[in-house]
Amino acid sequence: MFVEIIDVIISGLLNGSVYALMAIGLALVYGVTKAFNFAYGSFYTMGGYFAWVFLVPLNLPGGYYTVFLTAIPFLFVVGFFLEKFLVAPLRKRSDWQMKAMMLTLGLALFLDIGYMAIFGPRLKSLPDIVEGTLDLGQLVFMKQDVVIFILSITGLLCFAWLLNNTRVGMAVKAVAQNPVGAQIVGIPKDRVFAATFAISTIMVGIGGILLSQKNFVNPQASTGIMIKAWVITAFGGMGSIRGSLYAALIIGMLEAFVGYYLGMIHIDIAVLTVLLITLAFRPQGLMGRE
Amino acid sequence: MKAKSMIKILALTYGLIGILPIFVSDSSIMMRILTMILIWSVVASCWDLIMGYAGIFSFGQVAFYVIGAYSSAILSVSWNVPPIIAVFMAGIITAIIGVLVGLPCLKLAGPYIALVTFAFQLALEPFLKGPLGKAIGSGGSRGIISVPPIEIFGYSFSSSELVPFFYLAFIMTLICSAIIVVILKSHWGTAFLALKDSEDFAASLGVSAFKYKLLVFGITSFITGLFGALYVHYVGILSTRMLSMEVFTVLLIMIVVGGIGQYPGVVLGAMVTVTMNELLRPMGIYRLLIMGGMVVVVVLLLPDGVTGLIRKFTAPKFRRKTGAGSLR
Repeated sequence: MFVEIIDVIISGLLNGSVYALMAIGLALVYGVTKAFNFAYGSFYTMGGYFAWVFLVPLNLPGGYYTVFLTAIPFLFVVGFFLEKFLVAPLRKRSDWQMKAMMLTLGLALFLDIGYMAIFGPRLKSLPDIVEGTLDLGQLVFMKQDVVIFILSITGLLCFAWLLNNTRVGMAVKAVAQNPVGAQIVGIPKDRVFAATFAISTIMVGIGGILLSQKNFVNPQASTGIMIKAWVITAFGGMGSIRGSLYAALIIGMLEAFVGYYLGMIHIDIAVLTVLLITLAFRPQGLMGRE
Repeated sequence: MKAKSMIKILALTYGLIGILPIFVSDSSIMMRILTMILIWSVVASCWDLIMGYAGIFSFGQVAFYVIGAYSSAILSVSWNVPPIIAVFMAGIITAIIGVLVGLPCLKLAGPYIALVTFAFQLALEPFLKGPLGKAIGSGGSRGIISVPPIEIFGYSFSSSELVPFFYLAFIMTLICSAIIVVILKSHWGTAFLALKDSEDFAASLGVSAFKYKLLVFGITSFITGLFGALYVHYVGILSTRMLSMEVFTVLLIMIVVGGIGQYPGVVLGAMVTVTMNELLRPMGIYRLLIMGGMVVVVVLLLPDGVTGLIRKFTAPKFRRKTGAGSLR
């Protein structure tokens, strides 16, 4: 019984840490650009397919090292130019938030069906990042889980460092606080928007590479992931990075426990119920400001 | 858009659709397309009403449509309610659920509403497939197979008789479109627009956000549920496949092509989209690829959809002159 609960907690922590990586990317991009990105989940799948192409058909030397080293610049470029060519032109129009939502929804469908057209509808499995298990008496961990957990926490720390200690990060924070003021002091606002979009794309893409090892690469997973990331950001407070971190861990745990005790089919309903109850009492989310 | 030109465009479009069956009543494909245009045009109009006019980012339109379909199917199959009564009961049930979904949305800011309503749609599928859905008679993942057709005075409007059903849907469409036009042009429509532009300012003038937002949720979900019910009695089968992203995107394209908040535009959007969707069907998986790409291209290139394009070409000359006076 005790061991089972520990297992559930570990799976919650593991999912929660990767969700945190993805949800914080989304909180960032919403907090800064105010664009509601519906194609977010499709970049998760993109990360998964990127890793699969490199590891399985191409079988490049270096394994996951090569994947991470190439995936980060690749996802950056994808995110940067998507913002520049698709979202930025909408910004000047009336109802632009609504139009941005619609555009990204169309993009999400385009990408997801595109994956299916290119790679076929079958699920792809990624090789484990590390083989083997770690025995601690009665408790048995998979080394893969430990590595995924460490990598996503490292990703979060890198992100925190980037946001707090670099000029790019400070520019991002300045634009989030006051876009006009930031522009007056000479921060290239449009480039910051694109860079933020790109950083969030990297975060969700890396999340895809990490989590697809456990859940397969699935062209139909995008919507679920997108909603999950959105639920977590809304739950934690839109645009609040700390809130998203806590919310990701809470939702990860909730999923693990509901999935274990009530069955997988109830996960979505339970998550939605918790979200609705939270929003009914705190419309701005756990840690969001009015 | 003025009420007069709104009615003119609607009369022209629906008049054209209403006459077409005389020429194509032999072709079952054409009749099916025409019927689907009618049904989707109303559902998309409701979405335009809530999103384009009231400014509520409601993404639950497909969910309301499916709720209407399921409640009517369950009522007529499990409870033996005559379909014609079940259709209206389905509308009322959907309206109640719509208001219930609208209640938490009152306190929330724009994107949160999109999220809650979209998540509502996603949670509906596991609900209908799961034990709770089976308990109320949703048939689980198999769905409901034999939904009886609508009967009025012993005459049944089944899917084997395409023309009579078309005119039934046609009359319903005309009634609902008239309701939508009346709402848009009454003080309700003005209140919706005022709330969209500035909720605080509208509230200071005595426009109750509470009342009007719930009202718009209630009305749009009632009409949507009604047409969902109409659809299920027409096709006779129902499953949770209706909740797929595909249906959602097709509906989205209608509103994007027609123009957001450009009311009769969405009817044109429905005509274009349904026809295109059928024409592209032989392309298999690439149909959805094209549809998805189309949303991106149309949003980028045609900000007000087809309506904006038409207005650009038909705009009177003097308006352009006044435009040239300002700095352009």
